[in-house]
Amino acid sequence: MRSPIRIVFEQRNETPKYLSTLVPLISVIAALVAGALFLLATGYSPIDTYTNMLSDGFASSRGITDTLGLSTVLICTGISAAFAFQMNLYNIGGEGQLYLGMIGGAWAGLALGDRLPSFVMIPTVLLLGALAGALWILIPAYVRSRLGTSEIVTTLLLTYVAASLVDHFVYTPGSFFVTKNSAFPQGRLVPDSASLTAFGNTSLYPTFFLVVLVTLTLFWLVKRTEYGYRIQVIADSPRAAHYAGINANRTTLSVMLISGALSGLGGAVLIVGPFGRLDPGITMLGYGYAGIVIAALARNNFSAVIVSGILFAGLRSGGDKLQISTDTPIHIGVMLQGAILLFALGGEAFRRYRIHAVRTERTAQ
Amino acid sequence: MTNTSHEVAKGPHHESGAAPSALSAHSIVKRFPGVLANDSVDFDVLPGEVHTLLGENGAGKSTLAAMLCGLYQPDSGYITRNGERIALSSPRAGLQHGIAMVHQHFRLVERFTVAENVILGSRDLSFRLNRSELEDRVSAVAESFGLPIEPGATVGDLSVGQRQRVEIVKALYQGAEILLLDEPTAVLVPAEVEKLFENVHAMTQAGKSIVFISHKLGEVVEISDRVTVLRNGRVTGHVSGRGTTDTRELARLMVGRDIELTTQRASHATGHEVLQIRDLSLNVGGVSVLSDISFNVHAGEMVGIAGVAGNGQKELAETIAGLTSPTSGSIAITGSMSTDRGPIHARELGLAYVPEDRLGMGLVPSMSILDNLLLTRDRNFVVDRASVEPEAVRLIEQFEIKANGPEHIARKLSGGNAQKVLLARELSGGRSATKLLVVCSPTRGLDVGAIETVRALLNDARSAGQAILLISEDLDEVMSLSDRILVLYRGSIVHETPGESAQLATVGAAMAGLSTEGNA
Repeated sequence: MRSPIRIVFEQRNETPKYLSTLVPLISVIAALVAGALFLLATGYSPIDTYTNMLSDGFASSRGITDTLGLSTVLICTGISAAFAFQMNLYNIGGEGQLYLGMIGGAWAGLALGDRLPSFVMIPTVLLLGALAGALWILIPAYVRSRLGTSEIVTTLLLTYVAASLVDHFVYTPGSFFVTKNSAFPQGRLVPDSASLTAFGNTSLYPTFFLVVLVTLTLFWLVKRTEYGYRIQVIADSPRAAHYAGINANRTTLSVMLISGALSGLGGAVLIVGPFGRLDPGITMLGYGYAGIVIAALARNNFSAVIVSGILFAGLRSGGDKLQISTDTPIHIGVMLQGAILLFALGGEAFRRYRIHAVRTERTAQ
Repeated sequence: MTNTSHEVAKGPHHESGAAPSALSAHSIVKRFPGVLANDSVDFDVLPGEVHTLLGENGAGKSTLAAMLCGLYQPDSGYITRNGERIALSSPRAGLQHGIAMVHQHFRLVERFTVAENVILGSRDLSFRLNRSELEDRVSAVAESFGLPIEPGATVGDLSVGQRQRVEIVKALYQGAEILLLDEPTAVLVPAEVEKLFENVHAMTQAGKSIVFISHKLGEVVEISDRVTVLRNGRVTGHVSGRGTTDTRELARLMVGRDIELTTQRASHATGHEVLQIRDLSLNVGGVSVLSDISFNVHAGEMVGIAGVAGNGQKELAETIAGLTSPTSGSIAITGSMSTDRGPIHARELGLAYVPEDRLGMGLVPSMSILDNLLLTRDRNFVVDRASVEPEAVRLIEQFEIKANGPEHIARKLSGGNAQKVLLARELSGGRSATKLLVVCSPTRGLDVGAIETVRALLNDARSAGQAILLISEDLDEVMSLSDRILVLYRGSIVHETPGESAQLATVGAAMAGLSTEGNA
């Protein structure tokens, strides 16, 4: 009698270092394979599609600068999610905070007009965007820190309110954000003093480097400072924080506000960068939601967020161009994004468990 | 008990037959990643016998027990039941062979009644439960072994000892012939321990076999017919003979060297009052948890708080440590009021606090030893780890902490070493020199060797003039270390006695809430 084979999950005492890199990498590959099956089933050539995406997303100077340009906002929303996630605060409303950042940034740009020089205007627009993002998460942050209300629900629901707010500001005739007497539902362009110029003929703006710098600063803050120390204690053991006299409520509040501000910064980056105006199209792009996937793939490691942000930007911009160059649906990029999230989350099992097959020995039974 | 039904429990009943041992393990090997947990272990238990499996944490006794009841499968070796080779693929298969385990942490549904818990998992139930019939069946099984239980009571309302009884009844109801009891006395007061031993006697009289799994050289060993000692996954010795066991010899077999568990007390006169508690009361959600507690602890004195878990010990410790504000009353540390001032203020006055939950409250599991040393100290905005590192290295050396260095993650330390890190931090002072040390169950779950070290550290701290409040559910520990013993029962101090002249029976009775003065 052949004995049956059982799959055994054995918990690891320690996760080998290489797995922390290998698992996300394999997740991406597995997602591409799953995507290939989908493409095959729908009658497209996976190899052609992927080659096109690769060259449009990464392997051409045009492609890579477009990717880095798009990654600017994705790193913002990615770091926004990761910053909250590291303390087990699940801010999944980065999307809404991003809209608010756009509204705040556009408001600053339009309200201050052309009176101020660029070196004042640009930081002001970015700062107001961040502030608006923080403001949007204030209520979820406050009720979470005081009453323990689930921030997952509150931040998510407020995203829908934020989307309505964008529509309201754009579609209401005579709104501050639109051109007077124009029936066309589109925001007014901010003045030139509030706009940055892209490098050469690309869509890469200097804000990319600012965002990378912000990310690295946050990394330092968490690893080296008292504030980061508190975050680590509370994240791992709220009881130990209580024991040591660390005020968890205040830290919870501030971490969520910073998370909201980072998504808001992402919205403002779009104002000084490619969009230049409050654009209702933002609600169709899902940059905020993408941040959740980016943070998950980076496993909340801030420097890895930069890498996974660029990777996602490449998938997105490569996918978008596919529609133009071939007739492959634009949604292939979004589909791959979802597949990567699923595989990255599933891959956690391999980090936590050693999985092996055993032949069960059967004797008299 | 009002119930006198004579129905017999349904379940497999194995005849012991001519086979010599009820259950035996033959050359069992079990490997975990990086650990050889069992290295060709032989073990057997006879019908009607009490056999103790003794060993330190990590000696492999729990692994062996898990294989005997079907939770794990051996990598090699085999198990026989009445001389017949069996394969236990799951705890259910174990039960089918009449083997059941009573875990240290009970697996009961608190909202269910006793009877509901006992029948949980039975497969021969009809869709519609006949409550009174089930309760009759359950109490019939319980009574046949002299285990008094109220089948209709809700488990959440029962004491720990009663819950343990429910677990045992459940095993018997399921037809267990061999019961594996994991640290059965760890959670019981002396009177309950006695009751348990009576039950064990009744069960062995009925031909059941009992396997105790223990890391303590306590009463369990005394009522055993045989003791098998494990160390590092190997059997290091067998001792047989009821009541004649030499604990020193057993300790040596367990640890591999001679052990000296000192019971020294403060020889010198104690100093000034370091901790003064006056009329302390605490209500939580309208329920009185601590009421009218007043006592002092002097410099160079160790005061022990004895009591059964859940009688207010944790709340008392947390109130002194500034983590909880009392409803009324006052606490003074080194003469200054610390009531309502928070944990940092209490530490500035000289408090050090070793909570019972060392990994999760006292230490942050995912942080390094170095970062954990910083937990109760002043930190600058940019945390200056480099300047603390030499001290971390020194403490690791001084307290003989087995670690790869200051960067060793707390979670990866053994229980004993984690406790040493916690004591090292608390004894070495942080925001000010330690004058008052509050320690909760400092040796709970530790090996004999580590217990020896921790107790020696506490003794040294006392000799150095620190005032120590020892709060422990381990009565032996409180009895052997304290200069003065207070018994906490339902949030009040019901008994006070000098450590030297303390009587186990009197303290035990006070812990169980029996008045020690007058009405006997």
